[in-house]
Amino acid sequence: MKHEERVSKVILRTIRLHLLLSLGILFAVIGAIVMALLPPMILGIVIDTLTTGQALPVFLVILYYIFLALTGITESARESLLTVFGQKITHALRSSLMDKYTRLTTDELTAQEPGTIVSRFVGDVDTVENLFTSGIVSMFADACKIISILSVIWFRNRGLTLVLLVLLPFLFWFTRTVQKRMLAAQIENRQAVGRASGYVPETVHNIRTIHCLAKEDYMEERYDNAIVDSFRAVEKTNFYDAIYSPVILILNAVVVAVVMLFSASGNPAVLTLFGMSAGTAVSVINYISQIFTPVESLGMEIQTIQSAIAGVHRINEFFQLDECSWEKTQINTSHTPENASPCVVFKDVTFSYGHETDREVLKNLSFSVQEGEQVTLSGRTGAGKSTIFKLLLGLYEPQQGQVLIEGMPAAHIPDTDKRRIFGYVEQSFHMVPGTIKNQITLYDSSISMEAVRKTAQMVGLDTVIEQLELGYDTPCTQELFSQGQWQLLSIARATVADPRLLLLDEITASLDVQTEKEVLQALQRSAANRTIISISHRVNAKMGRVIAIS
Amino acid sequence: MESKEKSQKNFQPDRILSYFQEEWRILAAVTISGLIYNIGLLAGPWFEGKMAGCLADILGDKAEFRDMLTLAVSYALVIAIVQIARYLKRLYVRRFANNVNRQMKQILYGTLVHKSRQELNQEATGSVMTKAILDVDDCVEGMRKFTTEFFDTGVALAAYAGMLLYYDWRLALLGMLFTPFSYLLAEKMKTIVQRTSAEYKVQAGALSTATLDRASNAVTYRVYGCEQERQKAYEQHLTQYERAAVKANIWSSAMQPLYRTISLTGVLFILYFGGRNVLGTGWTAWDIAAFTTFLSCFTKLAVKSSSAAKLFNAVHKAQVSWKRIKPLMQQEKASHKISIQKPSLLEVSDLAFTSPDGTRIYENIEFSAKPGQIIGVTGAVACGKSTLGKTFLCESPYEGSIRFGGKELQQMTPEQRTGIVGYLGHDPELFDDTVKNNILLGEQNTDVKQYLKAVCLDLEVSSMKQGADTVVGNGGVRLSGGQAQRLALARTLCHAKPLLILDDPFSALDRATERQVFDHLKELAADSIVILLSHRLYLFPELDQIVWMENGHGRTGTHKELMQSQPEYAKLYLEQEGGAKA
Repeated sequence: MKHEERVSKVILRTIRLHLLLSLGILFAVIGAIVMALLPPMILGIVIDTLTTGQALPVFLVILYYIFLALTGITESARESLLTVFGQKITHALRSSLMDKYTRLTTDELTAQEPGTIVSRFVGDVDTVENLFTSGIVSMFADACKIISILSVIWFRNRGLTLVLLVLLPFLFWFTRTVQKRMLAAQIENRQAVGRASGYVPETVHNIRTIHCLAKEDYMEERYDNAIVDSFRAVEKTNFYDAIYSPVILILNAVVVAVVMLFSASGNPAVLTLFGMSAGTAVSVINYISQIFTPVESLGMEIQTIQSAIAGVHRINEFFQLDECSWEKTQINTSHTPENASPCVVFKDVTFSYGHETDREVLKNLSFSVQEGEQVTLSGRTGAGKSTIFKLLLGLYEPQQGQVLIEGMPAAHIPDTDKRRIFGYVEQSFHMVPGTIKNQITLYDSSISMEAVRKTAQMVGLDTVIEQLELGYDTPCTQELFSQGQWQLLSIARATVADPRLLLLDEITASLDVQTEKEVLQALQRSAANRTIISISHRVNAKMGRVIAIS
Repeated sequence: MESKEKSQKNFQPDRILSYFQEEWRILAAVTISGLIYNIGLLAGPWFEGKMAGCLADILGDKAEFRDMLTLAVSYALVIAIVQIARYLKRLYVRRFANNVNRQMKQILYGTLVHKSRQELNQEATGSVMTKAILDVDDCVEGMRKFTTEFFDTGVALAAYAGMLLYYDWRLALLGMLFTPFSYLLAEKMKTIVQRTSAEYKVQAGALSTATLDRASNAVTYRVYGCEQERQKAYEQHLTQYERAAVKANIWSSAMQPLYRTISLTGVLFILYFGGRNVLGTGWTAWDIAAFTTFLSCFTKLAVKSSSAAKLFNAVHKAQVSWKRIKPLMQQEKASHKISIQKPSLLEVSDLAFTSPDGTRIYENIEFSAKPGQIIGVTGAVACGKSTLGKTFLCESPYEGSIRFGGKELQQMTPEQRTGIVGYLGHDPELFDDTVKNNILLGEQNTDVKQYLKAVCLDLEVSSMKQGADTVVGNGGVRLSGGQAQRLALARTLCHAKPLLILDDPFSALDRATERQVFDHLKELAADSIVILLSHRLYLFPELDQIVWMENGHGRTGTHKELMQSQPEYAKLYLEQEGGAKA
């Protein structure tokens, strides 16, 4: 595929599209670093002025506050811009993921677990967002902050810079160790918590068995074990969490004390490195406490980046899945000569599913169904009845031969025409989120309310629906209808756009006798002037000509 | 856990104070270390000021290196003590939260597990309990934050303010003038922050739902040609999500530096008037050390006070969750040991059942059985045979009589009943645990192998990588339908009772396996009465008696009798026999 998407491409495109925003972030990041350096510098001047017994100029006082305020404002601007930018990237990523998803081959589409898709689209994309909002950019900012503080101190107190340079690697190592251990404990805890909270709905669900076997005590013990596991993991986290800051702050104090001692030593050799005025001392103390924060954040950022990289990797994998090639072939859609009469034609069709080319599901299959005819496909399990439907529905293309609906290759029927040409009643109903009306229209706004009512009437659901308080606008839940009624709704969904061809897939397999009767009656009503192809195991189903598939 | 036993008498699970009392030792440790830490926080600025002043004195030859040495060493020591106190405080606060969390969850779960199925189904109590257990986390988090912030914000703010007032009360008041403004602003903004973040949560939920819908109904959408339209709808979700996310994040994160800046406004006065103090022209006479200490104390106060709102937020949040949990916190019921009753005669006469909504489900059920007998129950779909099975659990009252060993089932205590009736419904009700644990459920001194063998699951289980220690997944998802069914049957057999009700235990088995399992069942439950509800009739000729249910009426007889007297039964039986042979 020449058009291969990657996370990096999406990000670059977003940056280019919002160039002004990206530049703004750059300025805000650098601005915040520079601004943070200024207040301690002025404070040093203030102290030194006071030590010499001079009055403070008012402008110096105001300047100090202005720089403090500017630090706050630039930080705030940086955070805001980063948020906006991060969201732009998430939006763009999710859009292109969805675009990709729509173009997947049916094989890939069905191979994806819905839960996995949600974690790709939601969870993994969020980690990429974090990469920007609390990963790369802040890491850059923190690194700059450390370097700039070090270089400012260099001009004030060379000795201190050297002490810090020796100390920082150790500090960083300590930070990372604590963070890694904490992460491990947190994961442990999350697993235990997940286990414990999974026990609760399970208990509710299995309560009959629990009572019946008198397992109340056992269940309590089991639950407690999970809680204790999480308890232990939390204790571990607590230890690392509690120990980190005290160690850092004690270290901070020791550094300050050592520097003060050196600068008070009076030894000229030491003083060349550590000599400073009282004012400088105050501003240096100020800087030292500032340098410890970015080191801590740096550790966190590395963690964020690590998990984001895993997310990026998974998203890129998704981008590499197979895509349909139908758009390209659509051009050669030309009506074959014999398109006039038969509604459905299978001509020498040979088909096997993409990944198992050696196992042909259909081999040189030919048959045709005339307009208005009712046909049942029969054959043992695995003979390829469902495959025939999948080909008719355009989900797959045959390797050899042709599958034609009204003379058109089934896979090349444009989306907009599909519902007008064929309706498909699935074995079981797939509820979509939304109202009853949404179930029938599948959000197709071109289907009128009147058509919806008419179809509901046809399948015999109109009175049931109209009795509901909100009628067709009732939000759907699984409990709203019985299994049979859902199946009727499924027929309504298939026939609402008045298709010329109706495909029925074992629609009564899971129904009891009474409901089956109702469903079949509804079908009879909908069958007028339609071509119907059905799959059925029941030999006695009176649905016209039987085509045996072997 | 021992302490739990001891104080059980005074402990009231629905009073939040009880939990604080329960953990008083830990809380005492928190209080001591918290006070040391927070008051000790003043030491930092004080020493820093002193050291700066000392350095100035040394440079001005007014002090010696020794002075600095004493200062620096004691500075490092004091900070170390303060930080160790901090470490202890943090650790103990968390341990306190941890203990309370565990205890609350234990109590809640104890309440849950003793609730009856009806109670759980009513008003969705089940999901209420599920949420309540999540609420515990919020509530305890609130209690923890309250305890933490009480020291870190409350005590620390008071200490800082006290120190400022001590140095120069006029300047302190002047400097702190702006702090309330920042607090007020934060308070005002709180509603916006809450609103935007609630909206953000809604949008995040909507996006997940939309993604899940798109993924679970992907083929349906493709077949109906709705993909382009769905993609557009998804794009709309994304736009709304982006808007909500940006708003929520900006309000919650970007405002913090601004609040801090407002609280720090007082620094203008402190620098100016503090400077005059040092020069001797102000309200109080200061040296450089006092000036530095004051300034650094003030900065810390300003930063801290911008987080004072956290204290109130935490309390508020905890209150909300606690209100939801409180009614559910009941003292655990004493555990009841059940004893399995001896095999005995079962007499069912004129049994009828009306569902709570008033529909008559079945009537005229009449049969009796001796230990070792197997009674088959069958009928058309929805004839009420499952309801008949559940009737033995006495979840709802029945009419007529079911007597076991001469005693009416309905009038026994639940414990007595549990000692008699074993029930296996349609739903295997498996636990997300290993195969072994699913069968034993904590039972010891018995081997799972015999039960696995009894239900013909032994070979399949031993072919699994981890054998009987294989985890079956949530509700048994990692097993096939037939495997789950047999595992549940093995569990029922392991907990054998004198009366076993089995609702369609073979529906997912092939005929040969069904045959084998049935033979094992006869052997293992030789002393029990088995009531087998089934729509598959192959084995019915071998059963001792059969209850045929038609239009809500029951007819009892042997297979032969029913074949003659009940044409529908005969038809059903022959259809299945014929269908299976073809």
